[in-house]
Amino acid sequence: MNIAKLKIASFDFTCCEGCQLQLANRESTLSDFLELLDIRNFREILSEKHDDYDIALIEGSISRQDEVERLLKIREQAKVLVAFGTCACFGGINSLKNRFRMDETVREIYGDMAIETLPVKKISDVVKVDLSIPGCPVAKEEVERIIVSLATSSLVTLPKYPVCVECKQQLNTCLFDLGEICLGPITRAGCNAVCPTGKTACLGCRGPAEELNMPAFLELVRERKLSHSDLQEKLAFYNAFEPVATDET
Amino acid sequence: MIYKVISKGEFRRFVDALVKSNNSLGPRQVDTDSQGNPVYQFKPVQSVEEIAFDYTATTSSAKHLFLPFREELSRFSFHGDDWEQQINYEADPVVLVGLRPCDISALNILDDVLLNSHFPSPYYLAKRKNTFVIGMDHLPLPDCFCKSMNHHTVTIGFNLFCSDIGDNYYLSINSSKAFNFLKEFEIRDPSHDDNCLLVERRKLIQNSFQTEIDVTALPSILDIEFDSPVWEKWGQKCLNCGTCAMVCPSCYCYSLTESCETNRKGARREKSLYSCNLVDFAVVAGGHNFRPKNGDRLKYRYYHQHRGFAENGNQQICVGCNRCGRACLSGINPKDVINDLRMEKESCLICVSSSPARI
Amino acid sequence: MPDMRFVIPRQDINRENFASSAPDFNRRSEMMNTDRGFKCRITNIVRLTEHEKLFQLRIVDPLERAIFRFKPGQFLMLELPGYGDVPISISSSSTNHEFLELCIRKAGHVTSALFTVEEGAYVAIRGPFGSSFPMDEMAGHNILLIAGGLGIAPLRAPLFWINEHRDRFLDINLLYGVKEPSQLLFTWQFEEWEMINHIRLHTIVEHGDAEWRGKRGKTGMITNLFNDISVDVKKSYAIVCGPPIMFKFVCGYLDKLGIPMNRMFVSLERRMHCGMGKCCRCMVGSTFTCIDGPVFDYWSVMNLKEAI
Repeated sequence: MNIAKLKIASFDFTCCEGCQLQLANRESTLSDFLELLDIRNFREILSEKHDDYDIALIEGSISRQDEVERLLKIREQAKVLVAFGTCACFGGINSLKNRFRMDETVREIYGDMAIETLPVKKISDVVKVDLSIPGCPVAKEEVERIIVSLATSSLVTLPKYPVCVECKQQLNTCLFDLGEICLGPITRAGCNAVCPTGKTACLGCRGPAEELNMPAFLELVRERKLSHSDLQEKLAFYNAFEPVATDET
Repeated sequence: MIYKVISKGEFRRFVDALVKSNNSLGPRQVDTDSQGNPVYQFKPVQSVEEIAFDYTATTSSAKHLFLPFREELSRFSFHGDDWEQQINYEADPVVLVGLRPCDISALNILDDVLLNSHFPSPYYLAKRKNTFVIGMDHLPLPDCFCKSMNHHTVTIGFNLFCSDIGDNYYLSINSSKAFNFLKEFEIRDPSHDDNCLLVERRKLIQNSFQTEIDVTALPSILDIEFDSPVWEKWGQKCLNCGTCAMVCPSCYCYSLTESCETNRKGARREKSLYSCNLVDFAVVAGGHNFRPKNGDRLKYRYYHQHRGFAENGNQQICVGCNRCGRACLSGINPKDVINDLRMEKESCLICVSSSPARI
Repeated sequence: MPDMRFVIPRQDINRENFASSAPDFNRRSEMMNTDRGFKCRITNIVRLTEHEKLFQLRIVDPLERAIFRFKPGQFLMLELPGYGDVPISISSSSTNHEFLELCIRKAGHVTSALFTVEEGAYVAIRGPFGSSFPMDEMAGHNILLIAGGLGIAPLRAPLFWINEHRDRFLDINLLYGVKEPSQLLFTWQFEEWEMINHIRLHTIVEHGDAEWRGKRGKTGMITNLFNDISVDVKKSYAIVCGPPIMFKFVCGYLDKLGIPMNRMFVSLERRMHCGMGKCCRCMVGSTFTCIDGPVFDYWSVMNLKEAI
C-alpha cells in the first residue's frame, strides 16, 4: 500500500512527557513507524520546527493561561487534534490538585514564589478534540495501529468493552477475589490488562468503558464490604470517572 | 475403548514421561484467594510434580488451547497493487492433563459446532487433533450442576480417562496413541473388584451433587419467556464485562478484525473471542445496535447456552461447570437465573410485582 | 532430552488423511478451505447515487471462476485486504459466470475504503453463503417483488432469473419505494424490465421533487402501491427486501390479503463476520442469518425472536 506520509507534530503541556517518549519505544517496528510520519514539530526528538502539520498530538493537561493560548493556536492549524494520553483525555494525575485550594497548593509546593496556575483542565475542556488515545502511558502498539489506520484512511477504533475481557484472557486471578478493588470492570480495555497481570489493581487510566454499569459496580464493592474511601481514591486517581456519592458506605 | 487399571504411582510415572517429552498443560495452583482457598488454572507443566491432581476447579476453562483468545486466520502480503493470501492451519502437539468430564463434554460440543457442521473449522481441527487429552473424574463442588446437564460423565472426546478407585486409576483408553504409550508401563486388566469399585465411585459422584437445576423443557421456556422481566432484573446487575464468556468452556462466538502492518507490506486477519454481553456484539454497519440493553445481551447468552442454536441441532451448550457463576462479580449464575425464569423461587419478580413491566 | 518413545507425533491436517477413531477426527481438510478467498479484479465501477456504487468483479483464476456458482438471494463476503470483509448480496444474474455485480452502499469503514478503490484493483470474495429464493418452487405463479431502498440489490438476482426464464412465470409486479427520486437505483433497466420482460413496475418516493411531480410520479409509503395492483392470493408468491420496518407493514398486509406465510420470502440483514455459522454475530433468535438465511419465509421470520 502506497500512501502519503502524515504531517504530524507533538506538543507537551502539563505532563511527564512519558507518553511522547512511548512514540520512540518498540524498536522492532520503530523505523517502519517513522516511515509513516513526516514529523514537523517534536521537541523530544527533533530540533527543527515547522508549523505546517495536519495532525497534532497533544500530551498533558492544561494548567496555565499561556497553555490555553498555545493550545488554541494549535487547534487553528491542526486538521486532526489528538488528545494523547490520560492527562490530555481526562486531566490525569495532575487533576488531584483540583481537590485543594489553589493558593494552598502553590504555597505547599513553591513557598512564597509567585506562580500562576489554574485548576487542571482536560484538552476537550478547552478545544474540540477529534480523537482520544488514552493510557498512562499510551500503549505504543495501539498508537501504531491508530497511526496506520489514519495513514490508510481506515476506521480508528478503541475497544468498547472493559479490561476484564483482556484480564481473563491472561488467565489472571480476579483482584476482587484477592480482596482488592480493581476498576477493570468499568475501564476501557486495550491495555492487555497490564496492571492486573502484574497483580496491581486497575486505576482506570484508559477511562470509562462504553455503557459501563456504575450502579452494579458500586453494589459489588459494597457487597464485598470493601473500603468506600479506597474506591473513591481509585475513581478519582486519573479524574476519568464521575465522582460517586460519599453517603454510599 | 479398552479398559485397564494402573496404580497411582505408575500413573504418575506415565504422566511424567509424557509431560517431560511434550509441551504439556495441567492444573496448577496460581494463587490463594482472600478466603484462603487455592486458585487453579491450566498452565504449562514440566514435570508431574507441578500438576495439582487434587484440584477443585480451574477458574478458566481449557477452551483457549483449542480456540485461542486471539488467533491469526490469514495474512495478506502486498506486492504493488496485487496481494497474496497466506493461511496456516498447523498446530503443535500438546498434552492436556486433568480435564474434568464437563470440560471434555464442552470439547465434544465444540466438535459438534465447529467440525460436524456446514463449514468445519480447520483451525480448530488442527488443534483438536494435536491435543492429547487425559481426563480425570472428581467429586463435584457444591455449586457444580453438570449432572443436571447430563455432563457429569463422558464416554468420548478424550484419549485417556482416569477414574479414581482408591489406590488405582481405572483407565478408559480411547486412542491407539494412549494405548501405545501405556505399553511401556505396568497396567493390568480390570478385575471384578475393580469393576465394582468403579461402579461405587460413579455412584458416589452421582450422589454428591448439591446443586440441581431443572432444565426440562428449558428451550421452550426460554422462547416463551423471551420478554420476561427477569432479564431486565438480572441485566441491571450485568457489568457487560464478558468474564462469563471468557471462562466458559463452550462459548465460542468471535469477532474478526483486519489490521494493516506498520510497514504496510501486509495485513493480518485476526479472530478474537467475543461475548454476547459486550456492548457492541450486535452492532451493524451504520451503528445500529440490535441489542442495546444489558438485559437483552445477557438473555442472549442464556439463550445460546441453554436453548441452543440450529448449528448443533438446538442442543444446549452449557455443561454445568458453573465457571461463569463463580467468576461473575455481580453474582449472576445459571442456577438463580434459570430458577427465576421458571418462577420457582418465592422471591421471583413476576410473583411479587403486581403488574410486571413488559419490555 | 525428551524420551522419543513418548513424543506425540504432530498431525498435519493439510497433508494427512486420517482414518482413526475419535478424537482423531476423520475429516478431509480440502472441504475446509473456506477461509481462502477467490481473488477478483474489479472490472468496472458505476456510480449509482451519492452513496451507492455498482462494482463489477471477475474472478481471476479460470478454475475458481468455473466453480463459483450461486443462487439468487445468496451473498458473499467481500474482502478488501488491509481493511476487512463485509457481507454483500449478489446483484447479478446467477447464470452470468463471467462477472459478478455487487451493489454497495457506503456505510461502514470497509465500504468507505471500497469507495476509494479504482478499476483494476484486486479484492477477494468468500462464498457464496446462505439460503436462496426458491425460484423453481415459484415457477408457474404470479410474483410480487417488493423492494424498499437498497432492498432492490438482493432483489436484482431473482429478477434476472425471472427475466431469463420469463415463460415459466405468470404476472410479475415490481413495487419499488425509496425516500427521494435521486435514490432510485438501476433506473436504466426500468425500460427493459417493462418493455422486454413485461414486468409491471410501480415506483413511489416518500418525498418527491418538482421533476418527480412533473412526471406524475407517486409519493408516499410503499404500502400505497398496493392500491395499484390486484393480487391473486392463490397464485402468488412474494419476495420482500428492505428495512425491517417495511417487512412488518408489507408482510402484514399480504398476510391479511391471504397470501400464505410460507409463500412470502424476505431477506434479512445482519453484520456477519464469518459467513459460516461460527461467530454468532448475525444471530436472530436461535437462527443464523448467514447459513439459515439471509432468505427466510415469513413464517420463519415471524417465529424468530428479534427478527423485526
